Amino acid sequence: MSDLQTEIKNLIIEALGLEDMAAEDIAADLTLFGEGLGLDSVDALELGLAIQKRFGIKIDAEAKDTRQHFANVASLAAFVASKQAA
Amino acid sequence: MTQFRIEHWRAWAPGLDGAADWHAWQQAPFAPQDGGEQPDVGFLPALQRRRLSRLARMAFHVAWPLADAAGPLPLVFASRHGETPRTLAILEDLARDEPLSPTQFSLSVHNAIIGLWSIQRGDTSEMTALAAEGDGLEQAVLEAATLLGEGSPGVLLIVAEENPPALYGPYIDDVPFPYAVALLLRPGADWQLQLAEGAGPRAAWPHALELVRALSGGADSLQHHWKRRQWNWSRIGA
Repeated sequence: MSDLQTEIKNLIIEALGLEDMAAEDIAADLTLFGEGLGLDSVDALELGLAIQKRFGIKIDAEAKDTRQHFANVASLAAFVASKQAA
Repeated sequence: MTQFRIEHWRAWAPGLDGAADWHAWQQAPFAPQDGGEQPDVGFLPALQRRRLSRLARMAFHVAWPLADAAGPLPLVFASRHGETPRTLAILEDLARDEPLSPTQFSLSVHNAIIGLWSIQRGDTSEMTALAAEGDGLEQAVLEAATLLGEGSPGVLLIVAEENPPALYGPYIDDVPFPYAVALLLRPGADWQLQLAEGAGPRAAWPHALELVRALSGGADSLQHHWKRRQWNWSRIGA
């Protein structure tokens, strides 16, 4: 598991107030929204904001692939890494 | 004139929870120290609890057991000051030119708590959030009485106030400590509430807590003044 993935897991827990959860509880391929972790649309906005703030990147909420980037921790980490490299 | 029955009540303040605590309090009322303690809402899963502010936890803590016993019911929620810690946090972000938290924003509106209540209980009954003045209790009872008058078999009523942030301290003088009171009102003629015009001394404690004193101590009447409004509570047949 990459450091970036761990950082994103901790960011999810912190930004979304997931009491009683630890980074180990969130598998990198666990679906974040709807199924899996069970986050909702307000969480999506909050997490998008937290990611933009933490990593200093821009996320286009309207872009078609944004939904795929937010599928799980692994896809989010890959997205953040690609944005940081760009 | 408004008549109703108070089937159950519950109240919470820091260090004051069950009926025995309130019975002791009504005999010798005092302002408990606020140590920031959170009322228990362990009946909710963690994923649902996380959205609840302390004010929401207070409201849920007092009302949830009443609702469990009664089933789906209309709800009247009254809070004069509402989610002041959330609104202040948003205003501070705004002042620093930082993006606003969508969660804070969506939960800062006055009816957010009844929205969460409706979602988490799966109860789509009519629900109302009021922000009245120091006589919010009476305004809420009036609202509840109209629902009973329309045929509702019962109405849940919650009055809750959170300790305001220090910045607002100089402007808020009617929250001696955080508190929440829930009443389960039913049609009936145990109590009546009458509004008259007249000025008088302000009650020693917030009206909802004065009512708790009366309910816990068995008093038969209460008189509350706010501005030119005089509210007369009396037990019928007492």
